[in-house]
Amino acid sequence: MESNRSFFVQLQVLTKRMVLRVVRRPLAELPNLIISAFFLFVYDGALGGVFGGTASGTPFDFANGNFINFILPVSIVSASLSGAASGIYLVEDIESGVFKRYQSMPISRWAIILAPMNVGALRVLLQAGLILLIGKLIGADPVVGNVGFFIVLSLAFIWGMGFAGYSVAAGVKSGSSQGAQAATFLFFPAIFLAPTFVPREQLKGWLETAAAYNPTTYVIEGMRSVMVQGWELDILFRGFLAATSFAVITLTLAVISARKATEKA
Amino acid sequence: MLAVDVKNIKKTFVTKQETVEAVKDVSFQVEQGEIFGLLGPNGAGKSTTILMLTTLLSITKGEASILGLDIVTKDKEVREKIGVALQDTGIDNLLTGKELFFTTCRLWGYSKKDSEKRTMELLELVGLTEAADRRVKTYSGGMKRRLDLGLSLVHSPDILFLDEPTTGLDPGSRRVLWEEIKRLRDNGVTIILTTQYLEEADELADRLAIIDEGLVVAEGTSDELKASIGGDVITFSFENDSDLKNAKNVLNDAIEDKDQLRITVENGAAKIPSFINDLNKNGIIVSSVSASKPTLDDVFLEVTGYRLEGSAGTDSSNELEVK
Repeated sequence: MESNRSFFVQLQVLTKRMVLRVVRRPLAELPNLIISAFFLFVYDGALGGVFGGTASGTPFDFANGNFINFILPVSIVSASLSGAASGIYLVEDIESGVFKRYQSMPISRWAIILAPMNVGALRVLLQAGLILLIGKLIGADPVVGNVGFFIVLSLAFIWGMGFAGYSVAAGVKSGSSQGAQAATFLFFPAIFLAPTFVPREQLKGWLETAAAYNPTTYVIEGMRSVMVQGWELDILFRGFLAATSFAVITLTLAVISARKATEKA
Repeated sequence: MLAVDVKNIKKTFVTKQETVEAVKDVSFQVEQGEIFGLLGPNGAGKSTTILMLTTLLSITKGEASILGLDIVTKDKEVREKIGVALQDTGIDNLLTGKELFFTTCRLWGYSKKDSEKRTMELLELVGLTEAADRRVKTYSGGMKRRLDLGLSLVHSPDILFLDEPTTGLDPGSRRVLWEEIKRLRDNGVTIILTTQYLEEADELADRLAIIDEGLVVAEGTSDELKASIGGDVITFSFENDSDLKNAKNVLNDAIEDKDQLRITVENGAAKIPSFINDLNKNGIIVSSVSASKPTLDDVFLEVTGYRLEGSAGTDSSNELEVK
């Protein structure tokens, strides 16, 4: 029998295996998938009345009459946190001994580490795509046209990869899936230390300062620009820069920690 | 060429709290096509030795080679030659047996078509064809072990490392696995297995090494090790502790084993009357006595000074009850 050990085949096989794992435990995955969509409805229901159509022409009209355009990025950014599942998938393999089995085989270490990150990224895309679809159905309409949805999805993907990298690093470091999960909660406050519900100009005092140093701010503002303002290239650039920088930093951390994990004791 | 050549390997784990010498000095050689057993209690250093030989753990000192390949400098090549089924290598419970074999075949580099073919061959080999489409979480312990064994055979390795392959299995499942291991040996696969079961070592291993506290304390075939004790084992039981204590003074070469005394002599059965006479003369009452050929259990007791937990004790053949 012929043998061809391509890195890409290994990555594809390991990713497919992990996708099967995810699909076969829907009760563990579905709540995460729908929670951000749920928050989209809640935000729109609770705040849409104040900042939505009825605020048209007032200083509270942050969204040019379409509040769903304004709040959609918040749901997308919180959905990107689901990229953190990557670390949990990897640590589950470490805990169950599957990781050790792969280590005993001539498989690329990179394929072992990248497979769960691939699945994390796919999960972000699926979750963000679902929210965009729901958003579209309930009236989201980017001012730059439908290409705005693509831009939002791209930012979500990069931001999600950042969380995937962070969770892999945290998971390997902590050595437990609970540790990986707990570490990702650190980022939850970051969503609210940002211009989540009102534009940054409306934030005051310490929250204004915190938001200025929080990369989430720039990602939300980048998404919001194509949804509400139009082609504001400098805002969009800052959004992509923040997301990409975050992803590069956390992926580097993931690689360093994964390298340590695969070294012999 | 030797299948496995281990020379004075040592493994020390250093943490902030302590330094543990898991393997102090282990050497052995394994010929191609034989089953070599590493027998010892939990914590003896068996699994650590296997982890080092399978390139999953670094060696602190010493050297070892697999089919002439140094396990430190040629670790990638070594992994091509070996199959590994460790105690703590996991199986993905959410996948089916068939999916696991197929995935593993693909990871070893087989094409999709060849992977399908090899999957069916291996399912047949380990007797899991009928359960192929069931998720592994529905498998019994014995089926999982057979699956584990099958997964380690995907690439037709020359050498197979099995770390306590039957631990936790019922006697029936254990025997099924034994037969499969023997069949592999008969097909030319060299097998290194660890076990804490004397019966398993006796049944499977062509040669074995007894490991205790990180050291090889005895090595040879099962018969050689038993013969090394010399003669038969006579076991005496007594009415009370006082008699046991006094008997130790009469039978100077005897080893105390729980509430019994054991002595190894040539022609054991013939010498029993004379031993009993000596004891009776000293007012010691023997409640029972038996003579048997030495077992691995006796060898283990002889070389380590204690019994393996859960071991069966002496063979009951030639047992003579004295009332």
